[in-house]
Amino acid sequence: MSAEEGTAPEAAVEVVDVSRWYGNVVAVNGISFALDPGVTGLLGPNGAGKTTLLNMIAGFLKPSVGDVRVLGESSFGNPDIYRRVALVPEREAVYDFQTGHQFVQMSARMHGLPDAGDAALRALHMVEMVGDADRATGGYSKGMKQRIKIAAALVHDPEVLLLDEPFNGMDPRQRLQMMELLGRMADQGRTILFSSHILEEVERLGENVLVVVAGRLAASGDFRAIRKLMTDRPHTITIRSSDNRGLARTLMAEESVFGIELTDGKIVVRTNELGAFTSAAPRAAQEVGASLFEVRPEDESLESVFDYLVTR
Amino acid sequence: MTWLVLTLTLRQLLGQKRTLFLAAVGLLPVLAAIIFRAAAEGDESAAEFAAQVVLNALVINILLPLTALVLATAALGSEIEDGTIVYLLSKPAERWRIIAGKLLAAWGATAVLVLASAVIGGLVTLAGEGESRLLVGFVVAIAVGSLAYSSVFVLLSLVTSRALFVGLAYAFIWEAVITNFAPGVQRFSIREFTASIAEAVGDTTPWVFDADLGTTYSVILLVVVTAVGAGLAVRRLSRFELSEAP
Repeated sequence: MSAEEGTAPEAAVEVVDVSRWYGNVVAVNGISFALDPGVTGLLGPNGAGKTTLLNMIAGFLKPSVGDVRVLGESSFGNPDIYRRVALVPEREAVYDFQTGHQFVQMSARMHGLPDAGDAALRALHMVEMVGDADRATGGYSKGMKQRIKIAAALVHDPEVLLLDEPFNGMDPRQRLQMMELLGRMADQGRTILFSSHILEEVERLGENVLVVVAGRLAASGDFRAIRKLMTDRPHTITIRSSDNRGLARTLMAEESVFGIELTDGKIVVRTNELGAFTSAAPRAAQEVGASLFEVRPEDESLESVFDYLVTR
Repeated sequence: MTWLVLTLTLRQLLGQKRTLFLAAVGLLPVLAAIIFRAAAEGDESAAEFAAQVVLNALVINILLPLTALVLATAALGSEIEDGTIVYLLSKPAERWRIIAGKLLAAWGATAVLVLASAVIGGLVTLAGEGESRLLVGFVVAIAVGSLAYSSVFVLLSLVTSRALFVGLAYAFIWEAVITNFAPGVQRFSIREFTASIAEAVGDTTPWVFDADLGTTYSVILLVVVTAVGAGLAVRRLSRFELSEAP
């Protein structure tokens, strides 16, 4: 992925200064990036604008401003693009009265594939749904519906695959299997963009990552670099002990600590290196002979991590 | 693509409770006919009752717009509502093919339900005592009228998420009430066009059934309404956006 200002003409997906608003609400705000073949994770908390962004790339939403191009073509109002592009929507609904096989085969026939039956069977194999393919989709679990939706999207062998929260409802084994499948598809030269609000999913699958927070692109690039940014950010930790004053004095000498506050029967510590601090704190307590009653990290929600990335 | 959408939509419509409700409403003209036969003394009023009460008042005024409204707005509207529309839109097919499939399914389902009710109700009322031409007139009118209604209501489901309410207001306030008090606006009523076709094809005598609008005018308007409705629906679907408003 060539992040930011990506205008390379050969990029599979190009998003150039795109914004989208609904009335007064800005859902996506001035985002630019370009994607080359491979797996990219679109990470962000719920309501960050991931679905809006995916729908604009897939041609189901028109950007309010900016330009989206997929495989060199504008995607909005261009049905021909779906010969080479597929979207797996987040919404669970499928046609409940159809069997899984009928659903996937219908997709193949709507794509005008010469041998829709074979194509459907191949796609069902890929998502390991052959055994349940003759059951009505209305009786499927959430994870099975996800897999049958992915099979329907894969049936025409798309070059660009967009997936909105594809691992929702899957059990760990199915998740792993799906990650392997997407990884294999990326190795074959396909461009895969999937959204998730779960850090670990993106970590396991996406070498490249786009972090979206409140409609803005907060970070993009190699996942390891972004992960480091996330773990090396300032952390706030609250400690209650039998000797707050003594413990605070000792902790102040620790290199990993850059701020300390003794207030209201507790110590509030600020550190840049969480790993180093977590080994330093018990050692310091032992040194002063204090019992630790509570060690509680603050602001550890994913949202606060994302907030940090935006404001850093 | 059109055939796939058509068969998919028919399966969707047939599996819905609202279709059962419509089938139950379709029994009303038949019930009216049975009551008429049970109470009738002279046969001379059979044609009049069939035309004015069973076929016009119950079928054309109530059953036809209600059935077309419920089925045509469900044909596309329910897919927009539950999000399955994405499985049709994400295919490399011209949008007119999707509208054609939806419209044909809505029309076919509406016509079958309404015609079954009209034919059985009409036959029971007339009880084989002639005036079969009258029934043919209404059959043709219903077939044509249901297409025009379906076209307008499919379009409506693409324009507003409250298509059912807007359609009910059109069919049962505008067409049923306002056109009675302001005769000039009958020119904007699918119901009036449909009745005119029934009169012309059925060749009815005025005491049996007399529509208010000219036949040629009604035929032209029905064709225009159907074409414009379908054309606007294609245009609307071509620029359709999946709603993800926060």
